[in-house]
Amino acid sequence: MSNSQIESGAPITLQELYPSSPFFKEALSLRVTGLLRAYSVETDIGVIEDGDKSLKINTQYLRDVSFRVGSLYQFIGELHIEPNNEAILQARTGRNVDGVDMNLYRKTIELLRQFLEVEEDNRNMVE
Amino acid sequence: MDRSLQNTHAKLMSRDIHRLRPSPTEANCFSLGGISWVSRVETVGTIVSRDMTPNFLKFSVDDGTGCVTCIMWLNQLTSRYFNRLDQSTILLYSRAARKQAAEVRIGAVARVRGRVGLYRGVMQITATVVVTERDPNAEILHWLECVRLGRSCYRIRS
Repeated sequence: MSNSQIESGAPITLQELYPSSPFFKEALSLRVTGLLRAYSVETDIGVIEDGDKSLKINTQYLRDVSFRVGSLYQFIGELHIEPNNEAILQARTGRNVDGVDMNLYRKTIELLRQFLEVEEDNRNMVE
Repeated sequence: MDRSLQNTHAKLMSRDIHRLRPSPTEANCFSLGGISWVSRVETVGTIVSRDMTPNFLKFSVDDGTGCVTCIMWLNQLTSRYFNRLDQSTILLYSRAARKQAAEVRIGAVARVRGRVGLYRGVMQITATVVVTERDPNAEILHWLECVRLGRSCYRIRS
């Protein structure tokens, strides 16, 4: 009954996905958000972008999600790094997030990480 | 320890739900960082798994810090637990539960309220209310609220 095998997708921005980043790892579960720039119904591959960064998304396992180029989407899935060092997210979930405040989202991710780190430090001190 | 949170739904991140520790003396009562007791929680996250059985719906919610398993009972019409209630109330509970369960689909963002409990060594929520969020900023606002409450109310940090 336990779902401990389901990994949580760590929320990141596309700017944080570069080869030396701690998030740029094979099979790492991530949550990414960006504007859908392109989508192919033949390959189920989409490309999202945020600023000058982009990421390929494999949507073959997604059902009941309609893709509209120019809309904002959020995906949770596992990162796959191809031999040419190009990353592609194998999406498990996807949803349209048109209307999300991306500036607030970026700032909140930072704030959340700081909060979790401080909590971790305090916990370690107590233990 | 503070008991003022025991009858409210504490807004917690999944990571913190998994860090709750059971009370050695009281059933269904969990220690939050050794400061407060909680028995009910509220979480907001993306539904990443869904398993429907005749008696209950099991689903997982991922809020970016962890995944928590939620159970929503659908056996109001057959369980003896509800015998003490009149038939119209049982029907109302049953319809409400089935309506909420139908909204639970993978990829949707849901706000879940319920009792926390330990099942086979893992924390889970027995959901009483599941609401699908339509506001795309709902998760962000929940994160901010969890941070604010974590600092000012639940653990009293400077």
